[in-house]
Amino acid sequence: MSKFWKIADNIESYICRTLLAIFVCLLFLQVVVRTLFSFSFSWIEELSVYMFVWFVFFGASYAAKMGAHNRVTFQFKFLPPGAIKYIEAFADLFWLAFNVVFVYLAIDFIFNKMNKFQSSQTLGFHLSWVYIVLPIAFTLMTIRILQVNYKKIVLKEDMRDPDAIDLDAIKAETDATKN
Amino acid sequence: METQIIFILFGSFLLLLLIGAPITVALGVSTLISFIVLEDNPIKFVQIAFTSVGSFPLMALPAFILAGALMESAGLSRRLINVAESFAGPFTGGMSAAAVVACLFFGAISGSGPATTAAVGMLMIPAMIERGYSKGYSSAITASAGGLGIVIPPSIPLIIFGIAALGMPPPPAAVEAHGTFQTVSIPKLFIAGFVPAFLIAGSLLVMNYILAKKNNYKGTSEGWSARLIWCELYRGFWALMAPVVILGGIYSGFFTPTEAAIVAIFYTLVVGTFIYREMSWEKLFTALETTTWLTGRVLLIMFTATVFGRLLVENEIPAVIAQGMLSFTDNIYLIWTLVIFFLLFVGMFMETLATILILVPVMLPVAYSMGIDPIHFGVVMICTLGIGFQTPPLGENLFIASGISKISIEEISLKALPFAFINTVAIFVIAFFPEISLWLPRFFGY
Repeated sequence: MSKFWKIADNIESYICRTLLAIFVCLLFLQVVVRTLFSFSFSWIEELSVYMFVWFVFFGASYAAKMGAHNRVTFQFKFLPPGAIKYIEAFADLFWLAFNVVFVYLAIDFIFNKMNKFQSSQTLGFHLSWVYIVLPIAFTLMTIRILQVNYKKIVLKEDMRDPDAIDLDAIKAETDATKN
Repeated sequence: METQIIFILFGSFLLLLLIGAPITVALGVSTLISFIVLEDNPIKFVQIAFTSVGSFPLMALPAFILAGALMESAGLSRRLINVAESFAGPFTGGMSAAAVVACLFFGAISGSGPATTAAVGMLMIPAMIERGYSKGYSSAITASAGGLGIVIPPSIPLIIFGIAALGMPPPPAAVEAHGTFQTVSIPKLFIAGFVPAFLIAGSLLVMNYILAKKNNYKGTSEGWSARLIWCELYRGFWALMAPVVILGGIYSGFFTPTEAAIVAIFYTLVVGTFIYREMSWEKLFTALETTTWLTGRVLLIMFTATVFGRLLVENEIPAVIAQGMLSFTDNIYLIWTLVIFFLLFVGMFMETLATILILVPVMLPVAYSMGIDPIHFGVVMICTLGIGFQTPPLGENLFIASGISKISIEEISLKALPFAFINTVAIFVIAFFPEISLWLPRFFGY
């Protein structure tokens, strides 16, 4: 069971790494084929763009899980560190509300508003298969926001800033190559 | 109605930023509120979520981020720093000049100011101190040069600007007043950014020479070490070829930027695995993961900033701003001055890519109505935002440099002031003389 949760906890990362690897390889194939045989697969460009859209929104959910979405924090400089997480949690309520509205709009659009004939040009499938990533990824993101705030406020964990540069690691690497 | 919507949109946006909401949320929520007030159909959000992100040129962004991450873990970037270091030689201020050049190389690949400062600084700051440079000076020059990378093509901020500007055609009134504008494209921006980037680097080198002379930072007495230079060039050959492949491919028109980045990824994988032998599955997975969250974060802002921008344009808000500016002055130099100081100010507080995405829909239509060329505007905007890395209060480069040299941020920022000053002068030169940015693309026939 714990293995299941470990996979579920990193699900976006697995999905995104796979998508990224596939569309990078597809595009490389396209470049090679074009250069060597001056020929191109019409479906590669379209398919890779759709995979890219999926990659972006799952990636956004993964960034939410890491607490990576940029905030302006200069105004918090003079507040006690303990207070900041409560203010940010309050701000995250707006994020949750936005996501709920957006998921509703996306579902409404996909199932009720989309043109029946709105299909992919080269692949033939209906575009709702691409759009479906929006409600899924934004629901996941909503769960991630709750998860992060639960960790910060209830479990009192310190989230690592993903943008922080680990100077010790870089120093170790620089020293290792010098000798 | 218009003024009321400006008030609601920008008011709620700033308020949300102030309480610490993520930038993307502040954009999305303030736009949603305005949609509700205007009784506009918010279903547009869903379509824009798809169309703003689903474009082929935009795929250059994850491809370049991945290429940069791989070049770092495969050891290509570090070899470039070593090449630059070997050229330090007997000049006055040679070592710090080498640090600037190393930042130029490394920054072009990594596209991140703080990462450049960290990697270059870790090697060069101790090397400078060893040669008798003061700790404050060595940290200041590295922190100042660390921001250069975002200007040098292939630059991620330029890609973001290009994509954002593509969705902003010149308003008809501006075309009527100033004639047709050239279209924006990423290769064109890359070529246009070339000369300005070297102008800024050159201004840093000049300031470095003056200060080094004053402080008496001499080079080594042995003179050039041809053997060392040859040795580093030999070891760094494949790393030096990477920018040649990328930029050569784009400039010759052989590759689109997206394709060039894809080729760079496979080039790095081959060099890193078979020649430098530093690549591993673990490093590859880490690079894929870094690309995931960096791209997801930026492009979520892309989505909300596009709806935000669409709302602005539909309500002709940039036209209102342009009118306000024109009624104040119609002197183009004065307008540039205002724009540059505004960008310097915003760049101090907000992340670069987010700033570009938010400000392009607001400022580019204004620039059009002043008759400013969009390519020229983009280059000046990116160059100016690069300075934000080296100025307090949020200059990330200063924090990194201070972490390496263990000198207080205050001292480094004081020592970095001359460099920020000369950079600003260079930016004014670039802004006042459009030809600096525009002649090279024209020369190449773009």
